[in-house]
Amino acid sequence: MPKEMDRRGFLKVLGVTGGGAAALSGCSSDSAEKLIPYLVPPDYQIPGVPTYYATTCRECPAGCGLHVKVREGRAVKVEGNPESPINRGALCARGQASLQGLYNPDRLRGPMARTADGEFEPISWDDAIARVTQALAGVDGDRMWFLTGNEAGSFDSLVNEWLAAVGSQSRVVYEPFGYEALRYASREIFGMDTVPEYRFADAEFVLSFGTDFLETWLNPVQYAREFAASHSYADGRMGRYVHVDARLGMTAFSADEWVAPTPGTEGLLAMAIANVVLRDHGENAPRDSSRLRALLDQYEPETVADRCGVPADRIRRLAEEFSAVPSLALAGGMGAQHDDAHSTAAAAHILNYVAGNVGRTVMFGADRDPAAGSTYRGLADLVDAMRDGQVGALFVHGANPAYASPQGTGFSEAMGQVGLKVPPDHDPMEQWNDFEPQAGTYLLQQPAMQPVFETRQTGDVLLQLAGAMGDAPPAQLSAANYKEYLQQRWRQIQRQLRDGSPFEDFWIESLRVGGVHREAPTRPVRVVGTASRVSVTGWSGLGDDFALIAYPSPALFDGRGANRPWLQELPDPVSKIAWSSWVELHPDTAERLGIAEGDVLEVSSAAGSVTAPAFLYPGISPNVVAMPIGQGHTAFGRYAENRGANVYHLLGSEPTAFAGLSHYTAVTIRNTGEHERLATNAGRSRQMGRGLSQSTTLLAITSGEDHPFHIEHAAEVPEHVERVLEEVQEAQTQETKRGNYAGEHPRWAMAVDLSRCTGCSACVTACHAENNIPTVGKELVQHGREMSWLRIERYFEGGGDEPVKVELLPMMCQHCERAPCEPVCPVFATYHTPDGLNAQIYNRCVGTRYCANNCPYKVRYFNWFDHQHEADAAYAWPDPLHMLLNPDVTVRSKGVMEKCTFCVQRVRSAQDQARLEGRDNLRDGEVRTACQQTCPSEALVFGDLNDPDSAVSRLAASERGYHVLEGLNTAPGVTYLKKVRNVAEEA
Amino acid sequence: MRKLILPVVKVLTVAVSGGALIYAVARVLPAQQTGQTSIGVVEVPVDVDTASLRGPVQPIFYRHDVHAGQYEMDCLYCHFAAEVSQSPGMPTISTCMGCHLIAGAANPEVQKLREAAAADTVVPWVEVHKLPPFVRFPHMRHVMSEAEMECQDCHGPVEEMPQVYQFASLKMGWCLDCHLEEEATTECTACHY
Repeated sequence: MPKEMDRRGFLKVLGVTGGGAAALSGCSSDSAEKLIPYLVPPDYQIPGVPTYYATTCRECPAGCGLHVKVREGRAVKVEGNPESPINRGALCARGQASLQGLYNPDRLRGPMARTADGEFEPISWDDAIARVTQALAGVDGDRMWFLTGNEAGSFDSLVNEWLAAVGSQSRVVYEPFGYEALRYASREIFGMDTVPEYRFADAEFVLSFGTDFLETWLNPVQYAREFAASHSYADGRMGRYVHVDARLGMTAFSADEWVAPTPGTEGLLAMAIANVVLRDHGENAPRDSSRLRALLDQYEPETVADRCGVPADRIRRLAEEFSAVPSLALAGGMGAQHDDAHSTAAAAHILNYVAGNVGRTVMFGADRDPAAGSTYRGLADLVDAMRDGQVGALFVHGANPAYASPQGTGFSEAMGQVGLKVPPDHDPMEQWNDFEPQAGTYLLQQPAMQPVFETRQTGDVLLQLAGAMGDAPPAQLSAANYKEYLQQRWRQIQRQLRDGSPFEDFWIESLRVGGVHREAPTRPVRVVGTASRVSVTGWSGLGDDFALIAYPSPALFDGRGANRPWLQELPDPVSKIAWSSWVELHPDTAERLGIAEGDVLEVSSAAGSVTAPAFLYPGISPNVVAMPIGQGHTAFGRYAENRGANVYHLLGSEPTAFAGLSHYTAVTIRNTGEHERLATNAGRSRQMGRGLSQSTTLLAITSGEDHPFHIEHAAEVPEHVERVLEEVQEAQTQETKRGNYAGEHPRWAMAVDLSRCTGCSACVTACHAENNIPTVGKELVQHGREMSWLRIERYFEGGGDEPVKVELLPMMCQHCERAPCEPVCPVFATYHTPDGLNAQIYNRCVGTRYCANNCPYKVRYFNWFDHQHEADAAYAWPDPLHMLLNPDVTVRSKGVMEKCTFCVQRVRSAQDQARLEGRDNLRDGEVRTACQQTCPSEALVFGDLNDPDSAVSRLAASERGYHVLEGLNTAPGVTYLKKVRNVAEEA
Repeated sequence: MRKLILPVVKVLTVAVSGGALIYAVARVLPAQQTGQTSIGVVEVPVDVDTASLRGPVQPIFYRHDVHAGQYEMDCLYCHFAAEVSQSPGMPTISTCMGCHLIAGAANPEVQKLREAAAADTVVPWVEVHKLPPFVRFPHMRHVMSEAEMECQDCHGPVEEMPQVYQFASLKMGWCLDCHLEEEATTECTACHY
């Protein structure tokens, strides 16, 4: 182990060092606690004061920057790195949950070897290295294969150099969500084997062909920020977004218009739009667009209309809108990856080209593919090689094709023929490494804490193997350890960047910031000859059966998030279902087939069949069913195993023309007759005229025709009642203002801009992480016992002849000024603080639950179970998961009510800090709640409502501002800003 | 900041407060016996019956009365974080060894410390001041407060204690006595969250 890591201390990771940690224990105990001091004072660490380490998130290939918050040697929270050019301080739910990878109780805890009777038993690292060396000695170098996920960076070059040293070239990269279709299209249209850069911030009209750019596609956190910048309503202006897909996914919630073509025909639609753009609105078209004339002429709106199921005049209108402003067409999402997806992507490229977007919102030059080098065909080739006995030894690192590939691929069976050892790797938060998600961006990873288990970094293992395997290793593999290897490579990077400073300065500065970033050069591109040969046929697989779309789960990604309880507990943005799989089905289809919500369906394709309960969703075409990827693991720890269905089992294993995997297949569905209560936190899916999540149109708001919402049929209040109400209200207000917080003290409040909220639910996971909220598991969610303080309510609007819309509402404690929960508490456990918080004092609470009964917002959660008690079945933090508990937040015990506190621990800690600095008041923005901090689209703003210049005051005064259930006279501290839709006049 | 260092401790004045203490304290005043100047070398009793002293028995008979009392060491020398953090901080073994690499070599209790340091192990001190659960006590807000608080206000005359014991009840009523008197906050979420 490098010496530096020792210095950083963490000698006793579990060391208890004083008052802060003592308060962590929820249970009252008089047993003597031990105070374990450090042996040597760790640098930069003061007990009770967090230290932050910049590193890089490796939960998906986007490469967001992280700040890992470390307290007393434990990583307790991850937050976005504000200096990262990719995520600018925000983080998605998967990034927030990366800590549960680090502390996962089911991680391999050290090297293991299979004994004679087939069981695994722990062995020492020396033994492991010796065994692997011995095993490899009997294998010819050219029969060694290496399979990894995307590892762009030093580890990638180490693997390649290592393979070269042993005389092998057999390197396979497999990312289940690879961008083969998009790359194929770039080659075909522009002769560039790259994924371009998309500039959402400059696009006033976004046209997405089944691309989930706010969920998993390429760089979702960055896109969410940039999309919010151009698409959210501000000062009478906003962009427009039209989504073309057979399914209305989470990304499409933000769409102003949803076009649902026949599944698999988005490419035809794109070509028809391009045709109209070039012929009728070709002002911005580059001169050589005429070469595409003959090609596009084959896709007349009238001829395409029938096949797509979209009227020709709608196609013409979209073309006109698309060409009127700087726009952006997107294709290549996994949820629309059928066997003709490369043509869809090619059509989108052509559409961007003829509208003059290439060089404006679509920039070619450096490769932006976060999964570069990955193809599904590469995996299929590896399987063939294994079957043919060409593979003597296979190293697998950061890839899980045994789960994330169709059964027909035969990876698992083929791998049975290969001898295998599994040396457990460090978690990304324990290792030295780097990552290059895109050209020009070099991100560093540094260990934020000592390894939790007896793991060893694979880079170190490879270097050791290189040293142990006979001949002296080549110079580049002679580094003493992986960190040294990494630094050698960073010296090269420094030279490439023409940075003349001493290396030590460059290294330290890069570590501090999280890496180095240089704007990658862009260059103009022209259509090449192959472009005119594009033939868009649409997906061919749809017959009389249903089309199944296997779409990426925004929480579980390609399944790698399934062992994180936070992600399992996170209700899906669309279905609001947690801990399970489901089949999305149109209500009309369900009615026709006699299927009720929750009926367990058997979904069968040519490749196999799976079962899952039905979820009725108006946002899906009637001839389409959809299932999320991510569940159905057979071996991935206690949280993932035997849960839900693996959709890969339904998909065909034949690589497509673009070397990828088709996520579409034809299926039949059968009602098994069984029924399952859905594990969902959603109540009614319709607002029933309550005006909870309000929206308006751009036209209405700019023309002044937008009127405040009134609950329909509200009874008139008699005058004598009104007088009493006023008196009560006045008295309550005076009462809550005791302690003179009006004006002199802050009044903490929040504003939620629904025009920015995408429903991604990163805030929900951030809240879990910050506030020690237990995960309760599927059964308790089914019974409505979830504990999540923050939920994203999702309501359907329209349906039938009306366009389907989805409204969102992040709902947390509203911190009402006249809170209904407060007067009913018999023990004053809930009351109003002078600075405007609705406080919940756990050790006062006796659990009458009157407050929850009286809360109109349903934001109070009662601890029915002992989630904090190790011996209890509901224990939420099995060793070592408890190490991520925030020491600044009480872990609540059974019988106690809890709810959103506006992150009071952050408020108090900032106030403490301000007083130490001699300030009485906090600056605006000094306290950021966990949900606000992580929000990729900056929809949440927290601050002082008594300060007229604070951001939250300005937002709360907005013309769009309203309070949920305003008629109840609760005067909430949370102001919502109406969503604005930029609806076309005809739509 | 107000002074943390106490005036020269009049050790004998407390000696009357308890029988057990008399023995311990009497042995702490060796200046004349050994003929050393000013502070002098301490002869810590080897066979002292620590179990009879107030407070929990510690793995090493570390004496606050010697360090903070006789040598007038600032509390913050060891509890280094009290001014900046909610937690006061516990001295690392290397802090102890900074002096005890040389000082007190013959003392058997110091030898225990040196053995621990040589073996790279830590000393599992027993917690003396236990806050009730569900409460937070930010040390820095009190140490740095305008009320000019001394460590002793809550921890008692530690500089006179051969073995530290919990001086105040640390219960809420006791906290509030002071908070009301000093007109400090009595807002629940100042301490409970």
